[in-house]
Amino acid sequence: MKAFFLSLLLFAATAQASQALIEFQSPEQQALFKQLTQELRCPKCQNQNIADSNAVVAVDMRNKTLELVQQGQDKEQVLAYMKSRYGDFVHYQPPLNKFTLILWLLPALMVVGLVLVLLVRRRTATSAPEQEDSAQPKQLERQLDQLIEQYRRKS
Amino acid sequence: MRKLAFFIPFALFLGLSVFLFSGLFSDPMERESSVLNKALPAFALPDLQRPDTIWTEQKLQGKPYLLNVWGTWCVTCNAELAYLTELREQGVMIIGLYYQQPSDAAFGEVFNLAELQQEVALKLQQQGDPYQWNILDKDRTLIFDLGVTGAPETFLIDAKGIIRYHHVGDINPQVWQQKLAAAYQSLEE
Repeated sequence: MKAFFLSLLLFAATAQASQALIEFQSPEQQALFKQLTQELRCPKCQNQNIADSNAVVAVDMRNKTLELVQQGQDKEQVLAYMKSRYGDFVHYQPPLNKFTLILWLLPALMVVGLVLVLLVRRRTATSAPEQEDSAQPKQLERQLDQLIEQYRRKS
Repeated sequence: MRKLAFFIPFALFLGLSVFLFSGLFSDPMERESSVLNKALPAFALPDLQRPDTIWTEQKLQGKPYLLNVWGTWCVTCNAELAYLTELREQGVMIIGLYYQQPSDAAFGEVFNLAELQQEVALKLQQQGDPYQWNILDKDRTLIFDLGVTGAPETFLIDAKGIIRYHHVGDINPQVWQQKLAAAYQSLEE
């Protein structure tokens, strides 16, 4: 049994060895490649980045990213290369333009709206109860005074 | 004020419902192609059946045509071959851009041109041959530059080599009538 499990381990080792190892000239390039493959989006299988996906187009994009990074291109250059082919869609950080403006405006508008609602509620909360508290008892008190006066006269 | 407090959540709910309902009918795969109205990217790729002939973007200029991206491994592509053949008989010029899926060396797959030529010839014999000729994009360089995400995809290219339309998915009578026929005819004149 022990031998069986040991042989399994052996297979695990060979399985790993068949994965291609990528060599980088510098740690910076390695970090850039890692960052780019995580930020670039697979155009075929939506909601996966190209590091995650094994679709043909994702594999091709990964290889192209590697090639461009090893040529010494920086992040912006690689992104521009991909965007000119697969559109803004391909990057998980959408640019600010007239189509995406609402993504930036909506949260700001909601905050402004909430602050307005809070202000209005506070104003009505501080002013309205005073009226209610003061106006009605005054009237009641007057009625009470009248009643007291009436009964006093009778007695 | 009380009424407003009632109507604001109601309006929000209504807005959200309309937004989500319209989402049911939108296609998340549909988006504007980024190669539209640009020239066909530069390339030099061999003819599939006659590998000595090298096609370039310049050699393809002079007449509007459909560039159909396909492969025998692609089921939908096979399904559209018959209708594309009909279009060819109507005088539409269609050029095939054949792309090969990566061969997995770990499974002992190697690229074999002669085998591929046979396979394609047989397929076209069975299903109909809509193509004037096929360009072989073995390493998927041209389809990468064209922003192709899969097959089938079809580009409408004018006589000057400018990409006028990019269709993702198969071409059937409905798609042809609604999306491509008018554009193709306007280029032909």
